[in-house]
Amino acid sequence: MAIRKVGVIGAGVMGAGIAAHISNAGIPVVLLDRAGEKGGPSLAQQAIGKLLKSKPAAFMSRHNARLITAGVLEQDLEVLADADWIIEAVSEDLALKHSIYRQIAQVRKRGAMVSSNTSTIPLTALVKGLPRSFQCNFLITHFFNPPRYMRLLEVVSGEKTSTHGLKKVLQFADQALGKGVVHCNDTPGFIANRIGGFWLQCALLEAIDLGLTIEEADAVCGRPMGIPKTGVFGLMDLIGLDLMPRILSSLCSLLPASDALQEISDIPALLTGLIEGGYTGRKGKGGFYRLKISEKGRHKEVLDLQSGEYRCPEKPRLESLVAAKSSLQALLEHPDRGGLYASRVLLRTLAYTTSLATEIANDIATIDQAVRLGYNWRYGPFELIDQLGAKWLVGRLEGEGIAVPPALADAARSAGFYREEAGVREHLNAKGHYQESARADGIYTLSDAKLGAKAVAANAGAKLWDIGDGVLCLEFCSKMNSLDPDILGMLMQTVADLPKSHQALVIHNEGTNFSVGANLGLLLFASNIAAWSEVEGLVKAGQDAYTALKYAPFPVVGAPAGMALGGGCELLLHCDAIQAHSETYMGLVETGVGLVPAWGGCKELLGRMSRNPRRPRGPIPPVQGAFELIAEARVSTSAAEAQEGGFLGPRDRVSMNPERLLADAKALALSLAPKYKPPEPFVFQLPGPSGRAALELAIKSFHRRGLATDHDVRVAGKLAWVLSGGDQEGPCTETQLLALERAAFVELARHPDTITRVEYMLENGKPLRN
Amino acid sequence: MADYKAPLTDMQYLFREILPWETLQELPGYQELDTELADAVLEEGARFSEEVLAPVNRSGDEQGCRLEAGRVHTPEGFPDAYQRYARGGWPAINCDPEHGGQGLPRTLSFLLEEMVCGANLSFGIYQLLTQGAYHAINIHGSEELKSTYLEALASGRWAGTMCLTEPQSGTDLGLLRSRATPIEAGGYRLTGSKIFISAGDHDLTENIIHLVLARTPDAPAGVRGISLFVVPARQLNEDGSPGKDNGISCSALEHKMGIRASSTCVLSFEDAQAELLGELHGGLRGMFTMMNLARLSVGVQGIGIAGAAYHAAVTYARERLQGRDLHGARFPEQAADPLMVHPDIRRMLLTMRAWTEGARALILRVAAALDVSLEHPDPECRRDNHEFVSLMTPIVKSLCTDIGFDVANLAVQIYGGHGYIRENGVEQYVRDARITQIYEGANGIQALDLVGRKLPEHTGRNLRHFFHPLQANLESWQQEPQLQQLVEPLAKAFGRLQRATAQLALKGLQDPVQAAAPASEYLRLFGLVAIGQSWVQMAESCLQPESQPNPAFCQAKLDTASFYMRHILPLSSGLFASIMAGADALEAFDEDAF
Repeated sequence: MAIRKVGVIGAGVMGAGIAAHISNAGIPVVLLDRAGEKGGPSLAQQAIGKLLKSKPAAFMSRHNARLITAGVLEQDLEVLADADWIIEAVSEDLALKHSIYRQIAQVRKRGAMVSSNTSTIPLTALVKGLPRSFQCNFLITHFFNPPRYMRLLEVVSGEKTSTHGLKKVLQFADQALGKGVVHCNDTPGFIANRIGGFWLQCALLEAIDLGLTIEEADAVCGRPMGIPKTGVFGLMDLIGLDLMPRILSSLCSLLPASDALQEISDIPALLTGLIEGGYTGRKGKGGFYRLKISEKGRHKEVLDLQSGEYRCPEKPRLESLVAAKSSLQALLEHPDRGGLYASRVLLRTLAYTTSLATEIANDIATIDQAVRLGYNWRYGPFELIDQLGAKWLVGRLEGEGIAVPPALADAARSAGFYREEAGVREHLNAKGHYQESARADGIYTLSDAKLGAKAVAANAGAKLWDIGDGVLCLEFCSKMNSLDPDILGMLMQTVADLPKSHQALVIHNEGTNFSVGANLGLLLFASNIAAWSEVEGLVKAGQDAYTALKYAPFPVVGAPAGMALGGGCELLLHCDAIQAHSETYMGLVETGVGLVPAWGGCKELLGRMSRNPRRPRGPIPPVQGAFELIAEARVSTSAAEAQEGGFLGPRDRVSMNPERLLADAKALALSLAPKYKPPEPFVFQLPGPSGRAALELAIKSFHRRGLATDHDVRVAGKLAWVLSGGDQEGPCTETQLLALERAAFVELARHPDTITRVEYMLENGKPLRN
Repeated sequence: MADYKAPLTDMQYLFREILPWETLQELPGYQELDTELADAVLEEGARFSEEVLAPVNRSGDEQGCRLEAGRVHTPEGFPDAYQRYARGGWPAINCDPEHGGQGLPRTLSFLLEEMVCGANLSFGIYQLLTQGAYHAINIHGSEELKSTYLEALASGRWAGTMCLTEPQSGTDLGLLRSRATPIEAGGYRLTGSKIFISAGDHDLTENIIHLVLARTPDAPAGVRGISLFVVPARQLNEDGSPGKDNGISCSALEHKMGIRASSTCVLSFEDAQAELLGELHGGLRGMFTMMNLARLSVGVQGIGIAGAAYHAAVTYARERLQGRDLHGARFPEQAADPLMVHPDIRRMLLTMRAWTEGARALILRVAAALDVSLEHPDPECRRDNHEFVSLMTPIVKSLCTDIGFDVANLAVQIYGGHGYIRENGVEQYVRDARITQIYEGANGIQALDLVGRKLPEHTGRNLRHFFHPLQANLESWQQEPQLQQLVEPLAKAFGRLQRATAQLALKGLQDPVQAAAPASEYLRLFGLVAIGQSWVQMAESCLQPESQPNPAFCQAKLDTASFYMRHILPLSSGLFASIMAGADALEAFDEDAF
C-alpha cells in the first residue's frame, strides 16, 4: 500500500512548507489548522497564500498549490480518513500534541501512519498513554526548514513502530520527497540540531569573547571548514535569532546537567537585546546583518559587536584566512585571533560530537550525513576529523585540556573514522571495527562508481566512468563545469569509442551545478585578441560535438542537477532523454551576454516547440515560443517548470532524490538501448523574413517602452533572424540552421557591447544591461 | 668619430604626421600645444644635446666618477653641463606649472630624453631619476611633501634617486632588510644599506632626495610589508634649505662596463631622517609609479643610443673607402668605393634604420597614450589608455633596449677594427647600451611581466587595446592598393601573434612554465608586429612622395618600410615556431648535465 494522500496538521512555516513539498511530489495533501478570524480565510488557507509568495519558492510549480486542500481542524477532521500518512506539525506543546493525536486516532484509517515533526520532544514522551495500535503506527519525522530545499529528514521510530509502516513512510520520503533519511536515536535534539546548536552557540560566545568582527567570524567559521559562507551569524539571521535561545533552553531542559552544552548555554545580553528590539534576523528588522535601502540602492550592513551599531561590512584581513587556503589544519594552528577562534570552536564541536557518537545514532556515518544535510556542511564532523588526523586532534585536545572521548582515541589508534576497502566505504563502529556504511536500496551515486575505480578515459575537462551494465558516465571536471574544448573533445572521442565496448551513455556530475555554460573566459580572450576565426572555430567545435552526440549509434541520457545554462542546457537538448533532478534550473541565457545560443540550442529548442502537439500548428508558433524563452533568457526554477516551459519533453523524467538520479538515468538509458536507432534529422518549416518582421515588431515595442536597450534590440534581432530561418522562407535543414546560429553568434561576438557584457559577467557573475 | 646628430627631422615628422594631434590637444593643459611650439622645443633640445652634452660624453667615459673623502665627483664638464641644463629649464619640461614646470606632454619630453641619452647616456640617467622622484612625490605625496620638494626637483636644483636594491635583494624585493623605525616626534629613522644606486651621490646639485624602500618594525614579511620613504641627503633647515648631512654615506662606487660617468653607489643609511611616502606597507605601489615611467624611459634610452650609433655608422660608411661595388667601380677616380656600396653593409645600415625609426614611432604612440591616460577628463578613456600603456611598457622597455644594443653592435661591425678601438667612440655605445637591457627590471623580467601579468589581466582586456585597433587598421589598409606589399606580411605576422597569444594564455593557465619559457620570444614577436604597424602608419602618411613637401624623406620612409616587411618582420615566423614548441625541450634537460 503506497502513500497516495497525506494530511498535515498545523499550517505554520514548517507544516505549510511540508505540505507544499508533498504537493511537489504530485501527491494530494490536506492541510489543517484553526479557523481564521470571523468570516475570514482559515489559517491553512492563509498559509497557502503565503506559500505562493514565499522566497525561495516552496512550490516547484505554482500549479501544485491546487493539490493542497485547506481545512479547519475542528470541522474537517474527517478529511484525514483516507490519508495514508498524517504529519503533526503544531507547536512544541505536549498537551496540544496529545489532544491532536487523540483526534487523529478517531478518524484515521487502519494502518495510516502518523508522525510528529517535533524537533526536541522525545518519542517516548509523545506516545505516552496512547493506545498500542496508535503507537504501532507512530514515528517522528523531523523536517528542516525550508522543507523543499533542506534534504535532511530525521526519523525516530519507537520499539512498537511497525516495520512495514515505517518502511512505507521512509520509502516515500526518500523516493517521492527526495529526502536524505537519517535514523536517530530518541535523544533530545536528535542529531543535527544537537551538534549544530552546540556549534552555533559555541561560535557565538567565542566570537564575542575573542573580539572578532562578525565578518571575521563568518569568514573563519565558513568556507575554510566547508561550511556555507553564511558562517555563524549569517546562519542565525536565516533561522531567526529568537529561535536559538528557544532551542537551546528546550535542549538544556532535557539534557543531563553533565552535558557539555549546559556549560555554554548562557544567552549573551547582546542577543537578548536584539530579540527584544525586534531584530530577529531576516524575518524581522534585520539581525547581525541587515539590508539597508538608501538612494544609492540596496547594500548590506553588519552589526558592530563592540558598539552595537550597524556599519558597512569590511573584508576580513586575517593572516589565518590566507593560511586556511593551504589546509584546515593550518588555520587551526595559526596564532592570530582567526586561528584561535577556529580552533576553540571546532575542537570543542568535534570533541562534543565524538563524545555523543554512540548515544545519538547507530553509527558515525549517520551523524555525518545528518550534519551535512541539515546544516549544509560539505563534510560531516567525523570526516573533518579524518582530514585533520585523529592523532593530531587528540594531541590538540590534550593540549587544550579538553577530555578525549573514547571513540576519538579508537580512531587515533586506527586509520581514522573512515577507510576505503576494495571499493567500499567503511566506517569505524562502536566496537572499534570497520564496517560497511549501510544505505537504502537503489542509491547509487557517481562517487560510489568512482570508489576504487579508474576512469575509462580522462582529460583536463572531463572523465568517463564505467557505471556498470554497459553504461558509461561522462563527468565534467573543468572549473565550475564550464564547457571547454577538452570536454568537447571527450564527447567526440566517446561517440567514436563507446560502441566498441558499451551500449549507452549518461552525462552527469555531482557539482552544485550541472554546467553554467561554455567557458566565457576563452571566448572573451579570443575576442580581446580579435581572433574571430578562433571564435568561429569554438562555435563550430561545439556544434560538431553536440551533433555527433545526437546522432551517435547509442542512447544518451543527460542527468542534470542544479543549473544547466547556456551550453549546458544545449547539451541536454541534444540528448535522447533527460533524467533531471527536481531542482534543475534550465535556460538558454546567452542573450544576457549579448549572444545567441549557437551550439544548436536555437535549433533544438525550435525542434521541441515544433514537435509539441499542444502548441498551435503552423510555422510561427514554435518560432514565437523559442524566441520568448531565449530572448528573455528565461530560466526554469525547477524541473517541473522546465517541463512547463518546454525544455523538458515527453521522454524526459524527473528524480526527486539526487542520490538516485544516476541510477534512474542509467535505467532510462538502458531502456532505450535495445534496438536503438538515432533520431531522423528534422527539417524545419520556417517563416523567413515575414516571421522575423513579426518578432521585430515586438522587440521595437519593448524598446519604445524602455524595457530593452539598443543592444538588446540588436541581439534579439539576430535571434529572430536565426529562428525565423534567415533570409529564406520554407524548409530549413538542421545544418542550415546551425550555419545561421554560427553567423549570428560571430557577428554579435565582435560587437563591443557584447564584449563588455561578457567581461562584466566574468568579473561580476551577473549580467550587464548595456 | 662622427659628432652626435639628433634625429630632428624624423622626430619633427613623427610629431606632425603620426601623432594623434586632436587627442592631445583635447587634453586639459595642452590646448596651447601646436607643431610650431613642438618644433621649436625639439630644435632647441637638439642643439643643446649636440653642443653641450655630446662633447662631454667620451671624456666622461674616459674619466668616470671619483669617490674622494666620501663624496662623489662627476667627470670634468658634467657640473657645468648640468648647470646649463637646469638653467635652460630642461628638468621641468613635463612638470606641473604649479611647481614651476612647463607642463609639456610626455610625448614631447620622451623625444627630448632620446636626444639627451643619445648624446650622453650617463648624463641622462641623473635627470631620469630626478624625474622619477618628482612624479612619485607628485602622485603619492602629501601636500606637505609636495610643497617641500617638488619645486626644487622641477627646477633641477635638487636631484632624486630610487633606492631599491640591497645585496641580498635584487629582482626579489620581498627580501628587503632596510628598516625604518617610527620616532615619537613624527617621521622615521631609516637604517640600511643599498647597492647599485644610480646618482646616489654626485656634485651636480645641492641636495639629493632619495626615495627608499624599507620595512617598518611591525611590517608583514614579503613585498606586502614594504613602505616607501623620502630621505634627503642633507636635512632641511627651517627655511627649507639644505642643512647638515642626514647620515647617508657613499661607501663605494661601482666600476662598470659602461655608463661610467654615471655614479653608481653603495649607500649606507644610518638613522637617516625619513618621511613616509604614500601608504604604510604600500611602498610597492609608489615604487611602481616610478618604475613604470622609468621603464618607458629606459626604452627611450635604447633608441637614443640606436639613433646615435646609426648616425655614426652612416657617416663612416659614407667616408670610409674600401673595396669595389660588385657591379663594377662606382667611383673609379678614387682608390676604392665607400663602404656604403657593399650589400652586407647596406643590410646592416637598413636593419639599424628600420629598427630605430620603427621603434621611435612605436614609443611615440605609447607616449601619446600615456598622456591621455594621465590627463583625459573621461575616466573610461583614461582607463583604456592606461591599460594600453601598461601592456606596452614591458615591450617598449625590453625591445627598444635590445634594439639599442643590437644597433650599437652593428655600428661597431661597420667600423670594423676602427670600431673596436676606443678612440672612435662607437664601442662606448655598446658598453653603455648594455646596462639598459638589465636595469629597471631585466628584459627577461619584462617578458614575464607581459605574459604573467599583462596578458591574463581581466581575461586579456589589456590586449584588446592593441589587437582591435590593429585589426581595424589592417581592414582599412587592405583597401589601399599601394600598401598591399606592406600590409600582407603584417597581416600574416598578426595572425601568428594571435595564435601565439591564444596558445600562451591556454597553456599558461594550466602550467605557468608553459607561458614563462617562451616569454622573451613572445615579447619580441609582439614587438615585431607593433613596430610593423608603426611602419605601415608611416608609409601611409608618405604615399605619393613626389607630391609631399619632402619627397626624398618620404621615399626613404617607404623604402625602409618595405625593407622592414621583407627582411625583419619575417623573423616572426621563426619566433612563432619556437613559441609554439612550448617548454618541453627546456624542461627536459637534465640540470646536472649543464
